[in-house]
Amino acid sequence: MITVTGLTKHYGDRVAVDDLGFELAAGRVTGFVGPNGAGKSTTMRMMVGLTRPDRGEVRYDGVRYGDLAHPARTVGSVLDARCMHPGRTARNHLLAAAALGGIPSRRVGAVLAEVGLESVADQRAGGFSLGMRQRLALATALLGEPGVLLLDEPSNGLDPDGIRWMRHHLRSFADAGGTVFVSSHLIAELARFADDLVVVGAGRLLAAETVESLTSRTGQSLEESLLEMTTGTAEFASA
Amino acid sequence: MTAAPNATEEKDLTMTTTELTLPTVSVPAADHVGRLAAVLRSEWIKATTVRTNKVILAAAVVVGLLVSWATAVFVTGEVLTAPEVAAGSTAVTAVLAAIAGILLFSAEAQHGTLAGALTALPARWPVVAGKAVVAAGLGLALGVIGLLAGLAGSVAGGLEVGDTSGAPSTVLWVLLYTCGSAVLGLGVGMVVRHSAGAVSGLLVWWLVVEGLIVQLAPGEVVRFVPFDTGWRSLGIESEFDVPEVVAAGLSNPLHASIFWGYVLTGLAIGAALVLRRDAD
Repeated sequence: MITVTGLTKHYGDRVAVDDLGFELAAGRVTGFVGPNGAGKSTTMRMMVGLTRPDRGEVRYDGVRYGDLAHPARTVGSVLDARCMHPGRTARNHLLAAAALGGIPSRRVGAVLAEVGLESVADQRAGGFSLGMRQRLALATALLGEPGVLLLDEPSNGLDPDGIRWMRHHLRSFADAGGTVFVSSHLIAELARFADDLVVVGAGRLLAAETVESLTSRTGQSLEESLLEMTTGTAEFASA
Repeated sequence: MTAAPNATEEKDLTMTTTELTLPTVSVPAADHVGRLAAVLRSEWIKATTVRTNKVILAAAVVVGLLVSWATAVFVTGEVLTAPEVAAGSTAVTAVLAAIAGILLFSAEAQHGTLAGALTALPARWPVVAGKAVVAAGLGLALGVIGLLAGLAGSVAGGLEVGDTSGAPSTVLWVLLYTCGSAVLGLGVGMVVRHSAGAVSGLLVWWLVVEGLIVQLAPGEVVRFVPFDTGWRSLGIESEFDVPEVVAAGLSNPLHASIFWGYVLTGLAIGAALVLRRDAD
């Protein structure tokens, strides 16, 4: 169980995340949705200690992220698909990450096969498409065989086949008992594999419920429900 | 699954989910030495798998060879030996070491790989400590390579090896200087976090600002100019030296102490920022 409690973050006078609280259960895919500037990325970064909250905390089975004995073997995160040196090969990128996380190097070959990058393992990441970078970022997150995956817009740059692959991968991960927390603007895609949703707007929690309960409560499609829910909270909106 | 109670209000946002045990790993308290070793292994892989460091090492060889060869061939007014000339390129080698130190951190910040390091080691200090050790190692390697290239260049330029009694102390001061330069560069990189900005700032400081200060300021001030005082810790005199600056010079250990004061201050400021501020 991941428990987020009272998470708050200000940037100057602007409130990025405001008293956010929700829980994530194992065996579930939870979508994290909201308009641009709603605080999704800031929340995810606070969940792995990259950004320090002004208030509030995140606990993984009761343990703060910073107190986890082996963070890389507990939580795998993809918060930016560009997170690789363009001059380093995919294999060397993963070897360095494995060494840092105290993960056996034999896992490198396994995750390269898992994400379908074996054939380009010795090519520099600078030549990768965004989709290939997304796969390499996911491979990095999977290195430590974590029980939790936190993914910020993992489908960005993926072609339809890649999006389907990602969906099946995350679904299988959750079905095996893992916890998946994934932010996405692809609502229709999210509706196909997410169990639960956490909806935020202007940094505040708007809803935390199952996809099924949300759509049955509103009597609308998921996309329409979310649009209605987040109206007026978008940082930038269409005229 | 339920929305966790917020600090200021209760929301009725209830989910029904299957509660499963999160497969987190519960192990004994952290092994600090093990974490530092993990960073060193990772940094070694990173340092040896990008072209930048190889280019910097190659540049140290080329500069060492050229400077010492040119000195051996064109400086004819005094009797020189190869060991005396070998350290002549250290001023440039030290700046190359500082650039390597900068890139050790700023490249990671710029390419987003720093986030991976800090999520793997959220305490952050092992990352800083590991990078400081690797920066020092890079500085030492560059110092050794610069000296060997300098020796080869001066012999190629026709100088005799001659008396080597002063060589061990010269080597010591050279390595202290290049090692400190790399660590100082790391500190700058941790503060600036932008490769082009930090490297260009360093070059402007070294080539323009320090040059002006050395030419215009009193010797008592010049002795506190970072790279110049580091260079003077080697005790090498040249015909380009400003006489007032030479007259106000200190002993090698004092110059080295002033330089290392900058090194440790830069490292401390950089480390404090890495530990305290949000990662990009």
